This record gives sequence, structure tokens and C-alpha cells, in this order.
Amino acid sequence: MNSSEPNERFLEDLAGALDSDAAESAAPSKLKAKVYSALARRQQESGPLLGLRETHADGRGLCVHEQVVRIAPVGSKAGAFNCCSLCHARVLAEALDNPPIYWANCPYVGFKQS
Amino acid sequence: MARRTGGLNVLPRLNQQRVSARLTAAGSTISPMSKPKAAVADDLRLAAAVFRKDRKATADFVNRYAGPIYSYLSRRLIPRADLVDDLVQEVFLAAWESLGAFQGQASLRAWLLGIARHKVEDHYRARLRDPEPLAGQETETDALLSVEPPIDTLVDRDRLERKTKRVLEELPEAYSAVLLWRYWEHRSAQEMARCTGKTAKAIERMLARAREQFKRKWQDE
Repeated sequence: MNSSEPNERFLEDLAGALDSDAAESAAPSKLKAKVYSALARRQQESGPLLGLRETHADGRGLCVHEQVVRIAPVGSKAGAFNCCSLCHARVLAEALDNPPIYWANCPYVGFKQS
Repeated sequence: MARRTGGLNVLPRLNQQRVSARLTAAGSTISPMSKPKAAVADDLRLAAAVFRKDRKATADFVNRYAGPIYSYLSRRLIPRADLVDDLVQEVFLAAWESLGAFQGQASLRAWLLGIARHKVEDHYRARLRDPEPLAGQETETDALLSVEPPIDTLVDRDRLERKTKRVLEELPEAYSAVLLWRYWEHRSAQEMARCTGKTAKAIERMLARAREQFKRKWQDE
């Protein structure tokens, strides 16, 4: 018998045992916040985000700042503005795992709740 | 962070609209809604919305799938826990670059995990290209190791996981990478050799040394 076989089996069993019912750990909300911010920045590199009016029309909830931009008499370019890029909620969410932010329809609040 | 690799960023706007429409149409024509079909339709709808740069859908996308990706990478990148966050981000950025190619044949989750698997293999490949640690007093084969695998006796899974993590963390990075690649990702020595430009024999020798060190540290714990 090959001398390495017992150790092969040991590692195969070990990997199998650990992977078979591996519990899924939740990603830290801070990480989700950073990933979302980076993804939104990357999306903007090839053009503006979907406008807030269209987003709202699709049935998605807007946060208080986005609502203000949506109803303001501004052009479609402003309507595509990424309000989160200036928002303190983003800064807090990227720095803290349980940031003190609470308002409705803020993606960063959503990250901490899930 | 992740480098920009083209993909969506270089697609003309018209093409983006076409792909988005295709994803949306594919999502809406699946009926009647059995559970798996409903899940596919849901995935396609979400992909289409992210593709349209709908910020809320993008947040939902991150919220839904960051957990599985984070979990998978955390298990596969031992001992480099410091790389996990950056790699999670790289997976999402790479997904954005190729989202137009998502067909819904696999779930979004499986598709993202596929991207994560590629990232992990890139990491292993780089580690195996590093100069190998000095063998020191190690023997060439693992013939001296005779302790029976304690898997069955270690009923406490968490304890088993913690111990495995500790042992992998104590190994040289190339050794933990080659073991994870072989036993957790189920790649053969030949496949690893092809990916790294080494010979299968060289990989086998490295695996033998890695196994021996792993087992020795496991017994010392």
C-alpha cells in the first residue's frame, strides 16, 4: 500500500466533513457597504445610474434624500445622481458594523439589518 | 482593488439596453412558475435590473449574495483571512463586468460562486509559484505518520473546523494552498501542474510534504 494513502484519506475525510454541512456565515455589513459603494462607482464609469424617477416607477423605495432629488425640478442627469456618494450614512456604514443609521429605504441600513 | 477588464464598461449603451431587455424577457417568459423556474426568473429579473444600473437592485444583489461569497472565500483562503474582503469585492466587480453574459442556466448564486472559485484558484496558483519553503528535517514521504484519522471521534464540528484552521494557518502558505486546492477544491496533481507550469511530480512531492507537515501539526495540537 502506498505510504501516503492514510494521510490522503485523512485529508479527504476532513475536507468532506467540513464542507458537507458548512454553515454559511453572514458577511459583515461593513463589507457589504464597501462592496456596494465600489460597485455603484464602477457602474458609473460607463455612464449614469438609472434615474431616480425610473427607479421609483419600477416600484423600488427611495430614501428621503433620493425622494427630494426625484421630485425636485431638475433634469434627468441630476435624477441619475448617486446621492449615496455624498451621504454620511455611507461613510458610517463603511466604517462601522452597526452604524447608527435608521431611515427607510437606505441600502446601507438594509445591509446592517440582514 | 480589482482591475478594470472591459466587459460592460466598453459596451455601447445600445448593447446594454439590448442585453437588459433580453434578461428581462427571459425572466418574464418562464411559466408556469414551479419553484426552480420562479427562482430562475427572479435571478434573471435581478440581473437585468442590476444591468440597467438600478441602484436599489444593485444593493439587493450585494445583500443577497455577499454572504455565500464571503463564506466560501473565508473557508478557502486560510491562512490569508486578510485577503477575503478584497476578494469579495473583486468577485462582485468581475460579476458586473460579465453580467451581460449571465443566461440563467445556473442560479446567480452558483454563477457568482464560479467567479469566486476562479479568484481562489488564481490565489492558489500564485502561492504555488512562490519559492517552496525549505524542507528542513522533513522526510520525503509521509510514511512515518500512523495516527488514525480522528474525524469520527471529533463530533464537535466547530472544534474540528477551528483546529483545521489553526493547523492550516501554521503551515507555509504554499502548503496550505496546495492542500486546499487538492482536498477542498478536488483538483488533481495533473490539473494543478497545468495551472502552475510545474510538473505533476513536483506537485505530488509538494503535496506529500504539505500532508506530512499538516499531520504533524495536527498531532501536536
